[in-house]
Amino acid sequence: MSTERRGDGNRIVGKIIQNIERVAGIMLGLVTVLIVVSAIGRYGFARPVPDVFDVSRLVLGIAIAWGLASLGFHGTHIKVDLLALSVPKPVQIAINGFAWLVLLGFTALLTWKIGERVMDAMGGGDVTMELRLAHWPFFAAIWLGMVAALFTTAVRLVIIVRDGRDLGEFDAFDETLLQDSDQK
Amino acid sequence: QDTTLRLSHWVPEGIAPASKGITPWAKDVEEASEGRIAIQVFPAQQLGKAPDHYDMVKQGIVDFAWVNPGYTAGRFPIYALTEVPFLVDDSVRGAKAIHEWYAEFGAPAEMPDVKVCFVHPHAPGTLHSKDKITAPEGIKGKNIRPAHATMARFVSLLGGGPVQVPAPEVREALSRGTAEAVTFPWGAMYDFKLTDEVQQHLDMPFYMSAQILLMNPDSYAGLSDADKAVIDSHCTPEWSSNVAQGWFDDDMAAREKLIADSEQTLNVPTEEEVAAWRTAAEPLIAEWRDNVTAAGGDADAIFDGFVKSLEANDARY
Amino acid sequence: MSGEWVAGGGFVVLFALMILRVPIGVAMGLVGIGGFGAVVGMKPALNLLAQSPISTITDFNLTLIPFFVLMGVLATNSGMSSELFRTGRAWLGGFRGGLGLATVGACAGFAAICGSSVATAATMTKIAYPEMKKAGYPDDASTGIIAAGGTLGILIPPSVVLAIYGFITEQDIGTLFIAGIVPGILAVFMYMATVRIWYARTLPASDTFSFLDAFASLRGVWAVGLLFIAVIVSIYFGIVTATEAAAAGAFLTALIGFVRRRLNLAKLLDCLVEALRTSVAIYVVLIGATLFGYFLAITQVPQDLTQFLLDLGAGRYGTLLLIMLLFLVLGCFLDAMAMIILMVPIVFPVITELGFDPIWFGIIIVMTVELGLITPPIGMNVFVINSIATRVSLPTIFKGVLPFVLVDVLRLLLLIAFPAIVLFLPGSMN
Ligand code: NA
Ligand code: NA
Repeated sequence: MSTERRGDGNRIVGKIIQNIERVAGIMLGLVTVLIVVSAIGRYGFARPVPDVFDVSRLVLGIAIAWGLASLGFHGTHIKVDLLALSVPKPVQIAINGFAWLVLLGFTALLTWKIGERVMDAMGGGDVTMELRLAHWPFFAAIWLGMVAALFTTAVRLVIIVRDGRDLGEFDAFDETLLQDSDQK
Repeated sequence: QDTTLRLSHWVPEGIAPASKGITPWAKDVEEASEGRIAIQVFPAQQLGKAPDHYDMVKQGIVDFAWVNPGYTAGRFPIYALTEVPFLVDDSVRGAKAIHEWYAEFGAPAEMPDVKVCFVHPHAPGTLHSKDKITAPEGIKGKNIRPAHATMARFVSLLGGGPVQVPAPEVREALSRGTAEAVTFPWGAMYDFKLTDEVQQHLDMPFYMSAQILLMNPDSYAGLSDADKAVIDSHCTPEWSSNVAQGWFDDDMAAREKLIADSEQTLNVPTEEEVAAWRTAAEPLIAEWRDNVTAAGGDADAIFDGFVKSLEANDARY
Repeated sequence: MSGEWVAGGGFVVLFALMILRVPIGVAMGLVGIGGFGAVVGMKPALNLLAQSPISTITDFNLTLIPFFVLMGVLATNSGMSSELFRTGRAWLGGFRGGLGLATVGACAGFAAICGSSVATAATMTKIAYPEMKKAGYPDDASTGIIAAGGTLGILIPPSVVLAIYGFITEQDIGTLFIAGIVPGILAVFMYMATVRIWYARTLPASDTFSFLDAFASLRGVWAVGLLFIAVIVSIYFGIVTATEAAAAGAFLTALIGFVRRRLNLAKLLDCLVEALRTSVAIYVVLIGATLFGYFLAITQVPQDLTQFLLDLGAGRYGTLLLIMLLFLVLGCFLDAMAMIILMVPIVFPVITELGFDPIWFGIIIVMTVELGLITPPIGMNVFVINSIATRVSLPTIFKGVLPFVLVDVLRLLLLIAFPAIVLFLPGSMN
């Protein structure tokens, strides 16, 4: 029974993280379209889209920050797997636990310091070059991504220590790539 | 020596603002302290990105930082007056005027966390383009890389498209046609090797951009009284003129070199055209007033203070 | 404490954390902050975290990385990789070792739309390995060919690794991509020659296709050709910036996928998420490396190291060789991306000081890193293949890849002896 509840908990967390990822993924898509539209506007009609430089980089920054939450959970950071893959299971759990504890600490530092930066920016008046949109809402969204990463990394740490689950072995590509269908 | 102070800037160490402004200033501080102070200079964004430099010195990541307040739009609304074109006609006397004005009207309000050492403008820069441009109509429909936020607004107002690329990428942007013109100081034509890309130069003092060297107050407080005195004697309006002179000379030499080069054309605008440019820039002053008022400043008093300081130093356009 | 000691200690802690599986970027970031703090004080060092990471993730010059990653993911998920293999098979399958040739060709084609070697190797293992197995290829030959072919991913443009190199060294990314074309083509021919000369006698010929079939198979790859032309030609002729080319490439790949009904909204969303995950992994390394770089800068060790390397008196080529050996050794356990990000800032000043062309060096160092992907004891491409084709042992793959390693070394020597092979094409731009 207790294992079932654990499974449910993981499923709920998994669902939350999936939604976080989708929002971030959509942001990446929007920035791609924005740059394409801006290029067409500039070369085709000598009409640049205003503030495309600032807005695209800030929105992409948000997407990356939210993506951190995804990596914290899936364990697909770029890392050296050599030692962890060649030791007995209990040692491996200890190594994985240590690694994710360090990641959690780093994420906590980032959350703290970027939080300060947001507070600072709210008083500072930084704006984009052309449309003069305030920077701080973008920074605040980045900070929320850090908070989410703090949560997901902690969840992953629990899964490592409690369930002894391993971290994703090869980063930068995973299940979806392996499913690359042959189109029959 | 007793104290090592770290100074960060973001241009290559060989070009004029560094080699004829920052480095000699640092050397002079070291000598005046009779060897008690050493200043370690970190050029070319080694310790941080150009737009982060204000925060870096404010937070003590470095002891000194060379900051372009125009890189962070909206952050220093008062200082932005130095970016409005056609107000200052000489960067050497102008540096002293800006320093005196800003120390009274600006720094206490918008840079309270740092100590101002010197103001460091280049000689009035201009518009360098592929096609000849002498009047404001020439901007319409063109993609132009502006020097700072205020020039970006100016380009927008005149119907052009501001293309934001960092200084080291300007050459690429021009060669690819991403931008067709750039506002830059004269010296940048050679510093960034742009003479093949833009050969038409508007021959008038068109805009200014003034960097500012700032010091962290805790770093200052940690010095002995004798060393504080050395720093104080190097953070003066006179030193602002002093460091501006080296950059000015380099810019003017670059202009002479362009004149001597048969492939380059310097276009002198007519009096009517100059008047048209100035009229076109007037909304920038109105926008500046709005921004300063919105930030809680007394725009009229600050503007008058600027004009008075420029006149007192014989630097009014 | 002197700068050298702090920096030396920093490297020791860095490698200790990395071997304990701490994400590489996080290890670099923490050591960077700690080391900076040891020199300047902990409070300002922690304040670096308020500035630098945000600057990195909102840097416009890096936005092309997620776009190129997205382009590769979209291409894979709309079935282009298997079509490439089918085309290669139709044209080359009749020769002895034909499936091997087809694999190299398909890898090259896939590399033209995908910026990652590991992704190229993984994709091709799924597609080409079962076919070669069926045709009676020994495991060492088939997996060796895939491991080597996979390395084309980061040499033939677009290349995420080359883009990162350009970002770090402030070189024009478009020029770097153009510079990768001729060495990439050379690599394809040398790999094909290796398959023919080294393996041909042991490998069976496979099915022959008629000319009609061969031309018919091209229908399946027009999209790849179109995309490659759209991206690379527009960069070469300066029609758009590299960032715009990357965004347009991703956009067009999605569009083609929709038109051919290979993609739908749900699949597109999956691709976006996958591309984002890959990109974020790269950004984490960049965030950490930037912090680590500030630490090294404040200790002034890179300058000392430059001086040290120059004072060794090994000569221009001796020093170059030393640097390449350093990359090969590090390649034993560092990811290609991480290695470029960590080490290039340190050795690049030496290279420019010695008067080497920075564009040329970009290609040379990427090829050196590629070599690390397929050499023992650790080669990422080999590991990836092993993780997919689980029944093939690592030693078998390493044995199979050996001839390609030798050919890679030969190619490196060629490019060092004749830099013009790299430089003439970018030199003809504009
Ligand atoms: Na590629
Ligand atoms: Na290796």
